[in-house]
Amino acid sequence: MLKLYFLLYYEFFKIGIFAIGGGYATLPFLYFLQSKYNWFSLDELTNMIAVSNITPGPIGINMATYTGYTTAGILGSVITTTAIITAPFITAVIIMKLINKFKSCREINYIFKGLRPASCALLISIGLKLLYQTITFTKEDWSFPVQFDYHAIILFIILILPFSFMKKRPLLVILAGAIFGIILK
Amino acid sequence: MQKITLFEIYKIFFLIGIQLLGGGYVILPLLQKYLVEERKWLTEEELIDYFAVSQCIPGIIAGNIAMFSGYKARKSLGALTAILGLITPSFFAIIILANILINFTDNIYVQKAFWGIRISVIVLILITVKEMWSKSVNSKFTYILFFIILLLLILLPVSPAIIIIISALTALLYSKIGEKKNA
Repeated sequence: MLKLYFLLYYEFFKIGIFAIGGGYATLPFLYFLQSKYNWFSLDELTNMIAVSNITPGPIGINMATYTGYTTAGILGSVITTTAIITAPFITAVIIMKLINKFKSCREINYIFKGLRPASCALLISIGLKLLYQTITFTKEDWSFPVQFDYHAIILFIILILPFSFMKKRPLLVILAGAIFGIILK
Repeated sequence: MQKITLFEIYKIFFLIGIQLLGGGYVILPLLQKYLVEERKWLTEEELIDYFAVSQCIPGIIAGNIAMFSGYKARKSLGALTAILGLITPSFFAIIILANILINFTDNIYVQKAFWGIRISVIVLILITVKEMWSKSVNSKFTYILFFIILLLLILLPVSPAIIIIISALTALLYSKIGEKKNA
């Protein structure tokens, strides 16, 4: 058990360092944790993303709290939540001490040119894998499809068409998914 | 200026935490209202600076801005108080919701709803990428980097941390070479 707590802290401390940008930046890491440790199932991960979207608070931190709770109860959620803010806290304090120097740092801008396409690729690869698994009933990454879930394909089209034209409305997308899920499935 | 108490910082960020629905950027108008206009702990310019820097450092944007603002009021302790205040409401909300969900996972309608939500999540991920796209992938270098990483991710189970490090180094190296050529 102690080892699990330590691992949780270590993994979420790492996420705190490497997840740069909005809350969705933590997603690829959680997905990776899922395949590495099996602390929670893929279905649970999806539920966590949904719940984190509809609860107040920063999504990335919410997901850490939820993951910790699912994996190791209340203490687990305290550990993951603390872990994910440790590195940012240290960075924030250091940066405030040198904020004026930091603003004009060219290297940081260069690095960001590479980080943004990487974030896009990370997120797309997860979106595609999840989509593939959902519409083919498989749990493996890219196993050969035996059958297709036509309901899932229809729902995906229903949701992606209108919502790709408007500003992001996570609550609305999740609500629509839930309602159509009850009707279609 | 009168010294701001830690309790006051905690209280304000707790309030902001309750209202922080739908992603990190929502924290900007909230800080604008509570800290810049009502309490004058920050100036408009400081808030914009914090926002810019928050995007470039580790951590979740909303949390970073909160810590900067807390630091401005009471140094390191203020930063710690601000982030704790910000995450307290959602911490309890998540634990309660998780417990409610566990009791309903056998319900057939809840299962159907979550089947649908699973597809909502996929759609949300793809829409997020669409919104990031023009600011992220917009030159020959970024297109090539994007496709190489995507291919790598689809074929191999690589850790995201490794991807982040490799692409940061690649971009730094690429820019340095470009600088030398132009010099």
